[in-house]
Amino acid sequence: MSMAELLSQYGDKYLLALLTTWKLTALAFLAAFVLGIIITVMRISPIKPLRFLGEFYVQIFRNIPGAALLILLVYALPYLKIVLPYFDCVLIATALIPAAFCSEYLMSGINMIDVGQIEAARALGFTFLQTVRLVIVPQALRSSVISLTSLLVATMLTTALASQVPLNPMDLTGIVAHINTHAVGGITAFIISAVLYLLTALIIGFAGNMIDKKVRIRR
Amino acid sequence: MSSAHLSVKDALYEAPGPKSRRAIRIATAISIVLIIALIYAIIRQFYITGQLSPKYWSFFTRWTTWRFLGAGLLGTFEAAMLSGVLALSAGFLIMLCRISTNKVLSMIGRAYIQFTRGVPTLLFIYFFFLAVPQFGLKLAAIWKIAIPVAISASGVVAEVLRNGVNAVPKGQREAALSLGMRERAVFYKVIFPQALRYVVPSLIAQLVIVVKDTTYAYIINFPDLMQNAKVLISNYDAMLSIYLVAAVIYILICYMLNKLAEHINNSTKVSVRG
Repeated sequence: MSMAELLSQYGDKYLLALLTTWKLTALAFLAAFVLGIIITVMRISPIKPLRFLGEFYVQIFRNIPGAALLILLVYALPYLKIVLPYFDCVLIATALIPAAFCSEYLMSGINMIDVGQIEAARALGFTFLQTVRLVIVPQALRSSVISLTSLLVATMLTTALASQVPLNPMDLTGIVAHINTHAVGGITAFIISAVLYLLTALIIGFAGNMIDKKVRIRR
Repeated sequence: MSSAHLSVKDALYEAPGPKSRRAIRIATAISIVLIIALIYAIIRQFYITGQLSPKYWSFFTRWTTWRFLGAGLLGTFEAAMLSGVLALSAGFLIMLCRISTNKVLSMIGRAYIQFTRGVPTLLFIYFFFLAVPQFGLKLAAIWKIAIPVAISASGVVAEVLRNGVNAVPKGQREAALSLGMRERAVFYKVIFPQALRYVVPSLIAQLVIVVKDTTYAYIINFPDLMQNAKVLISNYDAMLSIYLVAAVIYILICYMLNKLAEHINNSTKVSVRG
């Protein structure tokens, strides 16, 4: 099929697919970010079981393949009488995995903070949570902008998992598989999706660089 | 003087006083109770839905079950190895383009890296699964999974290799040139071997991603661990237990690879700086 034919026949579906991918990416990244911060706080807390739990979480979700996690959520969880809609399964899978990486990036951001700052905060009488909230998190976030940007792109790439379950509307990968199993979409069908993914990644990268330039701490 | 050796994690708190010791003790106790409650809730859910029944687990004591899973694991290794070799070769070529002084080659390298890093692996896999056969090109199943996974990884591999090349001190190149070596010899005999040593940990980390991506082999019916798990499920009618075991096997493999990368990273750091 030619580009014009494809676009006239499936143009609105592609648009919907792009929006679905964006929606999944945004929601998953937001959830991953919040979860990542919580896990990071657990990992640096003085409470040993919480440290262990945080570490355990990271090791599990850093190392599990996305497809394996999604299959567990979609096909195995119902056996535990937990039935989630497909969209939620995809969202959970695409949030849990980046959360582990988010925590890893934040940890390395934290390790870049000068130890003297923490000693100073303590000398000023800050409690642990105050030190974390007012000294550590802001600085760790500022020096993690670039890694968080690539995490956002990675989250977007992970949302392609949505093509593995029947979803309506479909995501950008799902729609290509759909078109190619129902008609002969050829390379063009793939190129449209690839370009849309690529443009999204470029926009994210561009925005990330802008933010990084503004907030980076020069050492 | 002490702060140079402290990590932030250690510096966060000094030896706590009696008051905070008690607070930490209480918080520890509460968190242990909560974790136990969580584990209990999970086990209970397994129990009341009957998933702990022996019929879902007993076949794991059978030799044939593990032999079948092992065969799948072998398939995973085969696909991952083939894919890793392809990604390394392609990544090397792309890196050569990228660092080339030829503007066109450099642009091609840059565009390729950008492309592979911005497009999901699954799209490449569907391309080889659905579009490539439309041109009448018939590939064996293992290539249908190994090539797209390799393409997806090759961009990052190129960047990793380039970082390694850039990390080799400039003096090395200058010294080799002043000894009368040609540019080509300088690169292949002096720069690249050192660069490769720097990046072995990152390459192993990339291999983890390759192993994870081979999970999609079920799309093309290539008998990897996931696919064989599926077959076992239809034999024993035990979805949850088998998928859970398969997931744990994947996690362990990737965990060990990551630990290996970490270990090499720590040990080479010492030897290179020393």
